[in-house]
Amino acid sequence: MDPATGLGPAQIGVLVPLAVATILLGGIYALISVGLTLIFGIMRVVNFAHGEFLMLGMYLAFWAYFVFTVDPYFVVVVAIPLFFVVGLVVYGLVMRGVIRASHNVQIFTTVGLSTVLQNVALVAWSGDFRFVRPWHLSTVVRAGATTFNLTQVVASVIAVTLTLALVAFMKWTHAGRVMRATAQDRDAATLMGIDTDRVYRLSFAIGIAAVGAAGVLVAPLYSVYPTAGLQFVLISYVVVVLGGLGDMLGAMLGSLIVAAVEVAGSYLFGAAWKEIFYFLLFILVLLFRPAGLFGQRGAETLGV
Amino acid sequence: MLGLLRARRGAVILFGLAAVVPLAVRDAYFLDSLVLILLWGALSAAWNVAGGYAGQVSIGHASFFGIGAYSAALMVTRFGRGPWLGMLVGVVLSIGAGFIIGFLSNRLKGPYFALSTIAFSQVLLIGVSRWRGFTSGAEGIPVPFRPGFLTLGLGHVGWVYMALAMALICFAVEVYLERSRVGYQLAGVREDEDAAEALGIPTRRLKVVAVTLSAALTSVCGSLWAQYIGFVDPTYVFSVDLSVRFALNTIIGGMGTALGPFLGSILITSLETYLRATFSGVKAGFTGIYLIIYGTALILVVRFVPEGLAGIAARLRVRRAHA
Repeated sequence: MDPATGLGPAQIGVLVPLAVATILLGGIYALISVGLTLIFGIMRVVNFAHGEFLMLGMYLAFWAYFVFTVDPYFVVVVAIPLFFVVGLVVYGLVMRGVIRASHNVQIFTTVGLSTVLQNVALVAWSGDFRFVRPWHLSTVVRAGATTFNLTQVVASVIAVTLTLALVAFMKWTHAGRVMRATAQDRDAATLMGIDTDRVYRLSFAIGIAAVGAAGVLVAPLYSVYPTAGLQFVLISYVVVVLGGLGDMLGAMLGSLIVAAVEVAGSYLFGAAWKEIFYFLLFILVLLFRPAGLFGQRGAETLGV
Repeated sequence: MLGLLRARRGAVILFGLAAVVPLAVRDAYFLDSLVLILLWGALSAAWNVAGGYAGQVSIGHASFFGIGAYSAALMVTRFGRGPWLGMLVGVVLSIGAGFIIGFLSNRLKGPYFALSTIAFSQVLLIGVSRWRGFTSGAEGIPVPFRPGFLTLGLGHVGWVYMALAMALICFAVEVYLERSRVGYQLAGVREDEDAAEALGIPTRRLKVVAVTLSAALTSVCGSLWAQYIGFVDPTYVFSVDLSVRFALNTIIGGMGTALGPFLGSILITSLETYLRATFSGVKAGFTGIYLIIYGTALILVVRFVPEGLAGIAARLRVRRAHA
């Protein structure tokens, strides 16, 4: 059917499932990206290893399911504190020493971290594609004419809940306010007696916890392999740049936009070409609105 | 001229050895390592032109490498022409692509520029993987071996000199950037762009020129590499790992130094060859362990010896001069 011919009942019949697919996908992208944007907003570091923590979350879900037959939904409960601790450790070992270094040092530190994590996974668990197949993957949920599986729906609901919880945490708790203050002006925050090192540690750990949880949630929907993080992290760069690096609500909107581009692109041109569209979108946004679609406070300190 | 040779003692010894060794040693394994050291060194030196001298750190240089590799391979397999013509086409395409990336570098800084270069190489990766009819897609193209200089079907000794010639060209460009007016202007752009601009240096144009030059050199190396290895596939030639490798060699050796990329290449390429020999037979073991060491080295070097091997050597020399 040619979607450009007008908006008859048949077209609305197509648009509804596309919209639902966009929202489901967008919810998951939001949780993946929100950690990246948090870390960037507060530490001013682009975490090039972000996708690898997602990959580790996927492996956690795989092994929990394979060895103990634990459903990924329950693994999320363990994954959040576990990845929080992983975040603390990685911060202490790797990130802390480069937080005041130049952009180049930070870029190559996280790129190096990404290489190490990918290959630790390769050596430990081989390059084989693994699959997590819980019962709900074959349970069908109807939305209009098309169907979704239960896994997709629940994963998306949990992802959105966690993302909103994080946004609420940033907005209404003391720790959240301290983190936002540091993001706005680290020197002023230091003068107000804020221990910025603790803030960085906390935000890095929260960011890693969020992406680790996202990894567990997406594990049943995609195959699990050592470089699985790459495809997602590239998406989250697009999302985060669209929303303005460091802007959490922007990231949620950006997720919906990228999901919409992906869903519409796959529908119109076939799934094989979908990545091309969001990369082109990415380059266009970088060129014309590098501070994000909605602008960004403090963008001048980043040199954009 | 003599003064220049004396000042570049290290390079004279290094390249001199590379030129003499094939006359005496005929061990294929050793000569293969030498070709790879020189080629990776030349590639890193090409990256250094943009990343080290102009301060435009790209993690997407595999784009230009892939364009060069594919142009040469496709010219031979699809059009039945020589790889030299493919190399030329690759250079022209890379100059175009380098121009786009250079233009991006005028709008974007630091992490944003790095992100945009990754995105660029990913677009090429996806495009080449999906355009099956022309590029053979993800399965890649075997490049046939036809003996002769015009078809770049050389023996091991021939390849050593070919790689050496390329390495010397890249090295010469670096030396030029260290001694010329343009080089000083680029250093100004790297250290403080606003100040450079205020002094009347055409910063935007210089950045585009540096990135484009770096792209063209990378592309030529890519064409040579495709002919030497005899196989190109998109997931390797456009990979982020490859882009990081150019940067890693340079960072370990010393960014913004002429010899640094080659020192880094000697270290990293030897490590790779050694590990490949040690772990041959273990399938995932070799690449995995090699890349773990490589990633760890990257993290440690940027943190603790950001000036690299060349920087350490320079520091030692200064200390000796004072003593």
